[in-house]
Amino acid sequence: MNDLSGPASPPELTRAADRQQYSSAGKLILLAEDNEHDEELVLRALRKSNVMHETAVVRDGAEALDYLFATGKYAGSSPVLPNVMFLDVKLPKIDGLEVLRRIRENERTKLIPVVVLTSSKQDKDRLVAYTNGANSFVRKPIEFAEFSDAIRHLALYWLTLNEPPPLLSA
Amino acid sequence: MIAVQQQANQHPTRAMSTAAGEGVRVFQHGGGVDAGSYARAMLNILEDAAAERERLAEMQRAVLNVLEDSEGEKLRLQETQRAVLNILDDSAEEKARLGDTQRAVLNILDDFTHEKARLDVTQKAVLNILEDSGLEKARLADTQKAVLNILDDAEGEKLRLQATQKAILNILDDSAEERIQLADTQRAVLNVLEDAEDEKLRLHATQKAVLNILDDSAEEKARLADTQRAVLNILEDIEVEKKKVEQVNVDLRTEIAERARAEDALRHAKASAEDANKELEAFSYSVAHDLRAPLRSIDGFSQALLEDYADRPLDAEGCRYLGNVRKAAQQMGQLIEGLLILSRVTQAELHRERVDLSALARSVLERLEAMQPGRDVECVIQSDLLVHADPRLMDVVLMNFLGNAWKFTGKRMGARIEFGLQTDAENPAFFVRDNGAGFDAAYANKLFGVFQRLHTTREFEGTGIGLATVQRIIRRHGGTVWAEGEVNRGATFYFTLDGERG
Repeated sequence: MNDLSGPASPPELTRAADRQQYSSAGKLILLAEDNEHDEELVLRALRKSNVMHETAVVRDGAEALDYLFATGKYAGSSPVLPNVMFLDVKLPKIDGLEVLRRIRENERTKLIPVVVLTSSKQDKDRLVAYTNGANSFVRKPIEFAEFSDAIRHLALYWLTLNEPPPLLSA
Repeated sequence: MIAVQQQANQHPTRAMSTAAGEGVRVFQHGGGVDAGSYARAMLNILEDAAAERERLAEMQRAVLNVLEDSEGEKLRLQETQRAVLNILDDSAEEKARLGDTQRAVLNILDDFTHEKARLDVTQKAVLNILEDSGLEKARLADTQKAVLNILDDAEGEKLRLQATQKAILNILDDSAEERIQLADTQRAVLNVLEDAEDEKLRLHATQKAVLNILDDSAEEKARLADTQRAVLNILEDIEVEKKKVEQVNVDLRTEIAERARAEDALRHAKASAEDANKELEAFSYSVAHDLRAPLRSIDGFSQALLEDYADRPLDAEGCRYLGNVRKAAQQMGQLIEGLLILSRVTQAELHRERVDLSALARSVLERLEAMQPGRDVECVIQSDLLVHADPRLMDVVLMNFLGNAWKFTGKRMGARIEFGLQTDAENPAFFVRDNGAGFDAAYANKLFGVFQRLHTTREFEGTGIGLATVQRIIRRHGGTVWAEGEVNRGATFYFTLDGERG
């Protein structure tokens, strides 16, 4: 059970240089989450899903885009395409929904499956999320059991049942 | 003498008289009295008379010869004889007369000298007359010219007269036409008069009809008077109504004006309400979202503890979970506190008084240092910064700004915090400057949003509502707030109040 190796410093940000696009060895989840507790809890839940995968975490909107477009602090590396992106609505610097919009504008990244995660019950977020091209919209429940289930289900679905989009000629 | 001979056919006596006269003439003409010449002349005359007598006798014979031809002639001859006898008789008388004449001639010769004198006088008179006649001739020429002019004018007059005559003739011709037209007119008038007769008859009929109508109209007049009275009444009523309507109009206009004013006020109120609503919406959205996170943490890590430590004591990891639970609870507490402050700031009344910002800033920094003793921060505070503001709210503002500066210089060696009044820029403003972590200026517009942060809590703890609260307070004081920053080079926050200073 204790595959949690040491303090839950979550898996380090995987350097893009080590990645192949859609590496057959492991499926990649890109998590964009600024709250460190939420981050830890998500990762914990993902671990419990028992789906083989790797997770990359970005902690604000700008970093998320830098990661996907290989700009900013990720400049020089070949950009990565995750199997799915868990995108929190509220991110510092660039808002989550704006990040989504820009991902959809980019030729390379526009097909990436994105699951929008939110704490709020605001319907307007839901509309904007789908309008901006979200594939899925999930509220983070307060109760951890529910939350954990939700994350596990997401991982199972998106990493196993769902087939990722074909690779586009970059 | 020639003259005498020329008169040979005349009666000799007469011839002698003539010769006598001639002789006188000669004398007259000769200019001198010559008796001898006269006598010679007389002798001549007498010789001539004799010759004449002979001639006469011849004539008698001739005559008698002629008488031989005819009795008539004889008679005539007798007559002639008689006449001759008479003449002979007469010749005696003539002789007598001659004698008289001789005497007369002599008288005449006596008178001749008188006559000559008279002739001179007469010649002179004639010459005078001739002179006068020259003048007369000239006057006559003038008169002739005048006469000619008059004749010319007369010519002109004649022509005018002819023209007038022609005109008169024309008029007379026209008048002839006129007369014809007049005749036509007269005929027409007669026709009209005939028609007039018919008209008169019709007029009579019409008059009868009119009289009938007038009888009816008397009734109509009576009805009309009634109608008029009724109309006047109605008009009066209308006047009254009009005045009422006008009054109503005036009232309506005032009401409309008032309503317009009310609408304006309403619009303003609506606008403010909308603004307030939007703020409230954003606010409650953020509240809902951000308060849920710590709750999730609390539950999550509690659950993790339960799951992972059901059958064993807590180890470091377990304690970490619990720590996270507590952190989450505290976070919630801070959030709630921040929200309460924010809501209080929004609603509370502003009580302005004289506030010494310099003293207040010093007090805030002392509190911060008390919370984190041992930190070495250089603080530079301008003195005597006085404002007219709400002191409690100013405390919140400075606690936020200076607290942020304190926090974000936490990882910096040689931290420096400044508070002062900047006067050189277009708008003088208070500023809080630090040389800490700074922020990416690209996201500066998010700084003052509720729950908006430019750093994660991992980097710097915080609720993200401090600056939103500050902005609210500054705005309520009629001022503005803005910031400049650079990553790792520090940040400066500026604010103005409404220009009122102490």
